[in-house]
Parts: sequence; C-alpha cells; structure tokens
Amino acid sequence: MKNLERKSLRGRIALDLIGYVFLAAALGIVTAVALASVALLFASQAEAAEAPPQGTLLLRPRAAGEPLSAPLLSTAVAFHVSGMVARARVVQTFSNPGAGWYEGVYVFPLPEKAAVDHLRLRVGERTVEGEIEERTAAQRTYAAARAQGKRSALLDQERPNIFTARVANIGPRETIVVELEYQETLRYRDGRFSLRFPMVVGPRYIPHGVVDAARITPVVLRPREDRVPINPVSIRVELDAGMPLAEVSSPYHRVDVKALGETRREITLADGSTPANRDFVLRWAPRAEAAPQLAWFTEKKGDRYSALLMLMPTAAAAAARLPREVIFVLDTSGSMAGTSIRQAREALALALERLAPEDRFNIVEFNSSAHALFPAAREASPTQVARAIAWVRSLEARGGTEMAAALHLALRGGDAGGRVRQVVFLTDGAVGNEEQLFRLIKARLGDSRLFTVGIGSAPNGHFMRKAAGLGRGTFTYIGRIDEVGEKMAALFAKLEAPVLKGITLRWPEAARAEAWPARIPDLYAGEPLVISAALERLDGELRVNGVRGGHVWQARVPLSAGQGSAGMGTLWARAKVASLIDSVREGASPDQVREQVIALAMAHRLVTRYTSFVAVERTPARPAGAQLGLAEIPTNLPAGWEYDKVFGELPQGATDSRFALLTGLLCLLLAAAMLAWRRGSA
Amino acid sequence: MTREHELCLGVECAWPGARRDVPVRAPCAGLGRMRLLLVALLLTLGGWQFAHGAWIQAKAWLAQVLIAQAWQRTLAGEPHARPWPWADTWPVARMSVPSLGIERYVLEGADGAAMAFGPGHLRGTALPGRQGNSVVGGHRDTHLAFLRDLPAGAEIVVETRDGKRLSYAVRYAQVLDRREVWIAKQEGPTRLTLVTCFPFDALRAGGPQRYVVWAYATNELKDRGGERADRRQPSSLASIRRSPASAERQAP
Repeated sequence: MKNLERKSLRGRIALDLIGYVFLAAALGIVTAVALASVALLFASQAEAAEAPPQGTLLLRPRAAGEPLSAPLLSTAVAFHVSGMVARARVVQTFSNPGAGWYEGVYVFPLPEKAAVDHLRLRVGERTVEGEIEERTAAQRTYAAARAQGKRSALLDQERPNIFTARVANIGPRETIVVELEYQETLRYRDGRFSLRFPMVVGPRYIPHGVVDAARITPVVLRPREDRVPINPVSIRVELDAGMPLAEVSSPYHRVDVKALGETRREITLADGSTPANRDFVLRWAPRAEAAPQLAWFTEKKGDRYSALLMLMPTAAAAAARLPREVIFVLDTSGSMAGTSIRQAREALALALERLAPEDRFNIVEFNSSAHALFPAAREASPTQVARAIAWVRSLEARGGTEMAAALHLALRGGDAGGRVRQVVFLTDGAVGNEEQLFRLIKARLGDSRLFTVGIGSAPNGHFMRKAAGLGRGTFTYIGRIDEVGEKMAALFAKLEAPVLKGITLRWPEAARAEAWPARIPDLYAGEPLVISAALERLDGELRVNGVRGGHVWQARVPLSAGQGSAGMGTLWARAKVASLIDSVREGASPDQVREQVIALAMAHRLVTRYTSFVAVERTPARPAGAQLGLAEIPTNLPAGWEYDKVFGELPQGATDSRFALLTGLLCLLLAAAMLAWRRGSA
Repeated sequence: MTREHELCLGVECAWPGARRDVPVRAPCAGLGRMRLLLVALLLTLGGWQFAHGAWIQAKAWLAQVLIAQAWQRTLAGEPHARPWPWADTWPVARMSVPSLGIERYVLEGADGAAMAFGPGHLRGTALPGRQGNSVVGGHRDTHLAFLRDLPAGAEIVVETRDGKRLSYAVRYAQVLDRREVWIAKQEGPTRLTLVTCFPFDALRAGGPQRYVVWAYATNELKDRGGERADRRQPSSLASIRRSPASAERQAP
C-alpha cells in the first residue's frame, strides 16, 4: 500500500512538473507577444509619425534650383563588315527635354582594339568635323568653347575600352548628335568569326591607387520594378563575309537576319532596340570548305603600303598528353553575384571533372581577400575532385575584387617541376587597376601560362585580352549558362593541344617592313596569326617560322598576291600604338612613348590615351546669362548583376540598446510583480 | 482550507484538477519553487538584457572620453593614436555642433566595430575636413542621435588631425534606402555627409532606411586659433547638380 502511494505520488510530481513547464512556456509566450506588440506599437507609431516617402527632401535646399529634367541618350550603331575587318558608325543622340542648358557626359565602352578615327557633331542640318588634338589641349579647346556658349563635343579615351563623350550647350528642347567611327579586325577562332560590341561599362571595383577612378565609374541607375532600363541602342550589321556563309547567330540578342546572296547578310535587332546593358555579339561561320587559311589585305597610300595578314596554321597532330598542374582562380566578388557566379561555378565544375588523375590542381577564390582550397596543389584523385566540386558549389559572390591577392597566390614565378603549369582565371574583370595587375602578371608569371575566361554580360575585354597576352595564354568568353559546356570544351582543346610558339617573321629586305605586334604571341589550336604591317614594296615573300610540339612549322606568303582593302593604315597605326604603350611595361621611357604615340595618332587621326577628338561650332548658342547645368548620363546595371552585392549598403546606424533596455526592464518589472504577488498572497 | 491550498487551486485551473487522494502540499510546494525559479529566470534575463542595453550606451559614452585623450596625442603628431591598446580604430577628426553643444570624435571605419565607440568615417571617402565628400556613419541612438534636432543652416565644425578647422553648414537631409550608396561619390563641392538609421524611434536595429544629412563646407578657419580665412564662394547651382543626389534624381 505504501509502495503504491509512493508510486502515485511520484506520478503526481512528474505530472506537476510537466504542467509547470507548460505554464512557464505559456507565460513566456504571453510575455513575448506582449513585448513584441509593445515594440510594434512603438515602431509603427514612429513610422506613421515620421516616415515620409523615401527620397523626399526633409529640409529645403537653401539654393533651390528648377526641377531637373536632364538630357537623355540613345545610340544607333551601324556596322559594315568586310572580310576580316569591321567598320562601325556609332551615333549618340543627346536630347534635352527640359528648359535649361546642359552639358551631357556619357561614359561608354567600345571594343578594346577599336581604332576610333572620326568624330562629328551634328546639330540639325549642320555638321562640324572633329579634330584630333593632344588630350589636354583638346580639353582646353572644349572648355573654352563650353564657356563661350558654343555647342561642342569632346571624346577622350580612359582605357582602351572605356571612352567619355562630353557635349556642351545642349539647348532647351534641343537634340545634339555625336557621331564616331571606328575600325577593328574581327576575331577568328575555331572556324568562326565574331563581332563584339560592348554597351555598358560594368561598375568597376577600385582598389587603392587608381587615380582616375572618377572617370571610369559612371553613375549606375539602381534597378527598380517601376523603372525601365535606359539608354536604348539600335544595331544594324551589313555583313559581307567574302566567302559562302554556313550560319549567322547572335547569342545574347534576338536578331532578324536577311540573306542577300551566298556571302552577304543584313542583321538587325528583332526588337528594334535594346537597353545598353550587355555586350552584343554576332558570330558567323563560313562553310567548312570555304574556311579561310590565309588572308592578305593591302592598301596603298602615297608610296607606302599598309597591310593586314591573317594566317591560320595547319592543324597539329595530336601530341602525347603531358601531366599538368592547373590552378583555377575564381572571382567571387560582388560584381559576380547573380547569373555570373552560376556560370563560373558550372564552368569550374566542368573543368575539374576533365582533370586526369595524374594532373595536380588547386583552386583560389577571391573577393576582398583571396583563399586557396589546398595549401599546395594536390593530385586530382576522384575524392579530391569531388571535394573541390562541392566546395566550388558552396561559394557565394560578395565583397570587393582584390585581384592582386589572388594573382599572388596563383602565380609564384619559377618553373612547374616538369609539369605544364596552367592558370585558368574566371572573372568579369570589373576592376579599375588593370595596369597594376598587368605588371604583377608579368613579374610573377615564370613558366606558368594564364588563361582568362570572361564571365557574364559585360566582361572587361581589355583585361581579358591583355592579361592572357601577358600570361602567354588565351582568352574566352562565357556570356550565358548554356554556353558553358561548349566554351569550356573549346578551352580544354586549347589547353591540351600543343602550342605553336617562337613565331618569327622574315620579310624581304626590299619591303622595309614594319610589323606589329612586335612580339608575336604563341598560338593555340584554332587561332590564327594576325599581323599589321607597313611596307615600301610588295615583292617577294614573307616567311613565317615557328615550333610546335618539337616540330618546325613554316609558311610562305607571296606579298604581291594581296587583295585591296581600305583602312589597313588605321589598323596598322592602332596596333603600333598598342605595342608602344605596352613597351612602357617593358621599361621604355614613358615620355618618349607618349611623344611617339601622339605623333602617330595625329597622323592617323586616332583617339588614344594621349589624344582626343574635339569638335566646336563656330557661333555661340547659349545666351550669356543662361546657366549651364551638368548632366552625367546614368548607365544601366549590366544584365544579370545584383545591385546590392556590387555596391554594398550604407553603414547601419543603429544599435539594439533601446530594445535591450526595454525588454530588460519589462522582464525585471514582471519579476518584481510576481514577487509582490507572492508576498501579498503569503 | 489553508490559504496555501486556495492558492494552489487558483493555479490548478490552468492544469488538470488536483486529485483528492494525495496530499495537496506537494504540488503547492513545487509551484512555489517553480515560481521562484521563474522569478529568478526573469530577473536573470531582465538583468542581462538591461545590462546589455546599458552597456552599449555606457560604452558609447565612455569611449568618447577615452578617445578625447587619444585625439590630443593625434594633434601632437601620433598618426594612429589608438584610444586603448587593443583598439583597431583611431580618431581621424573632431566634429562639433556649437549650437547644440555637441562634440564627437570621428573614428576610422564605418563598421560596427568602430561605430560602437564613435561615429565612423567611411573608408574610401575624403577624411572629414579635407577636400571632397566625407561620409560619416553613426548610431541614431548614441553618437548621431543629435541629427534629428539639426536644423538647416546649422554649423558643424570639423577639426582635422593637423589642427586645422573647417566649417560646414547643413544644407538638407533626406531619408534614403540603405542601398543608395551613390551618396559616397567624391565629385562636387567639399561636404560632410552624415548617415544614421531611420526612423529615429525604432526599437530594433537593421531597418532598411537611412537618414542622410548633407553639410557643405562654408569657410576655412585657419589653425587652432580659429582665425577666419577668406570666405569661399557659396556653391553654385551647377555644383549642386554635380552632386550625386541630382545624378540619381535625373533618372526617369
């Protein structure tokens, strides 16, 4: 009986305990709800009392001006493609819907090899041709014209692929047109030609020491649901391939293609225009039997010839596969957030799966700082590869773009211990310190080779091309997730096939040829040799020598068999300017190079780092009393980017101290009340 | 029935009724203990929360006192005078609002670690008192609580570490989303951009809104004596348009 009693007592106590736990929980919930509602009440009162619609000025500006309705911009581009060369006319229309006078400033990209040789200012029926001047002189000419109220335009180069157009004295409800023209050689790779037209300068990360940061970072319009993208661009391409065409395609824009015979097409955007928020790319392939092996274009000016050579080496026999050490570098900065990081992760996972067990590998990811997956490169065993793929898939994009730190980890100079050392760099190149990085690559490359993979909708072409050039590698672009497979396969073919290196040119003595680039890059599978030359005579033949996989490779080009083509002189001058500017990195005197570039650019009317176009109307337009406002044309965020990840946020200016004080106080009060109740009832 | 028993009944409503065949004392004693436990729990929790809140405020206030000493060392020429040996920040300017009797030492870095002790200077923007746009962030419930009372035209005086002083006048204030980082742009007239959280009375941190005050440089006060140098031209309309605020507003 006693036992039974004890048992039931125990049961009671257990039940009691459960009950009290419930009670405590219920009390806790009630307290929490009470606290939360108090907090909400306070907060909503505060918001109701104080929150004006966002963006409202709370205090009136002291000097209130008239409401702003700044100039708008639209662009029309017409390409004329003939064989290996494209000529483009870019027409930028600045229109001012408001009642004030404005100066419009537009920072925009062009292809990194573009030779800009024409600028025109058009106001209604009148046209003013631009003059090429030394950069600071052009800026002075423009500033003077602006102050005098004359309509004027200025075109500066900030980077080989970033330009600034300034247009002064756009009158009320007036439209001013700036027309510029450029020429470039097309890219011919793996049997396909491609034309790339960048439309927006992606927001660049500016590390310490970039002096012209303000000139390459235009205001970026924050995407909002109620905002449509700005800066519409219309595109028309007259394509004369010079050989029967197999296919024409535009991977990132919908286009209408009109066939005008076997070799000619006319291409326009299917939607009429597109917002300037991603690169436009047009690709075409000649029919297999018509794929060009050699092109030799010449142009005669005075008693000199300018020429362009395109030579496709014969395909190499497959060579024995050498063990490799591959270092992958993945950009996980804020600009990669969104579609870019997904493309990059996929590309990297594919690359990892492709490694052979005897290869070694490592992965470096970088944003505000750089980290390597392994302390040193490891064998690519299935378990290590699986681990690496899992790691790559877990990476998120955020923070800065401290590329130098990553290059320090990936490139360490010296040799690779009997292996082929390849560094595959996946990035959008959204940085402003290209020159510093180029120097770093040059200094630390050693026996490695650097391959850049430009990711996303608006990669920095200048960085991709030059970094790969200095790294003795090659570059490729991935602009969409469904291109990853194809593009990476093409890259692997290049990584695994023997390289054609040590290329030398032997021109006939009498030709007195001056050819650029001065140092001929190594050629990977599917890549042609492209050379610009100036010659005095077109006799004899050019001999090209190189070494591939231990075998000597040779080719001969008869100089007299050229095909006439316009604009070769401009391309030659542009190639020479690029080589001269590169020579500063090799130790040439910057002042001397500057003088040489200016002389060359003046002779060929080229926009360079040291020369700008300026066009000024003769008569003033703006009345003396009228104020001139400045309007920096905002740009779109490149397609697929995430604004918040790129720009971060303003500092968070609040602590939880009040909340902590209030909840603490309430708890203490509650405790006190319970004690008082207890005492009262005892 | 004892009073104690009544008490038990009172609570029992919240729980299956007491069975009569066992002494009722046991659960009552248990209840008392439970309640004591609850009171103790509430006291601990409340004490902890209160102390936490008070600590944030006390730290904010005390740190400024310590930083004042570090500032004297800075003026004497020490480049990174840390207010306490393990600090990872240092004062970069002294900011005062004479009309409100406010004085604050601005620390390097507008991150949580620095802003617990003082308003923080956003790295990459001009240092307060120098040419360009100086962005300073701070907490609305500690160092920058005074922004709420700052009228247009109010004077803000900034002393730089070389002892020079620059005077700013408050132009306007605006409530913005936390993503509107264009306000840190450097172009345009020399100005001080103060950023804190909004609304001022919200209890919790982490809201999406920011209260931004723009103060434009008016004149330079030479040396520590405060002798007035020649007046600068007031900013023209064109230069207001240069400001990033208007660049953003241009957008359709």
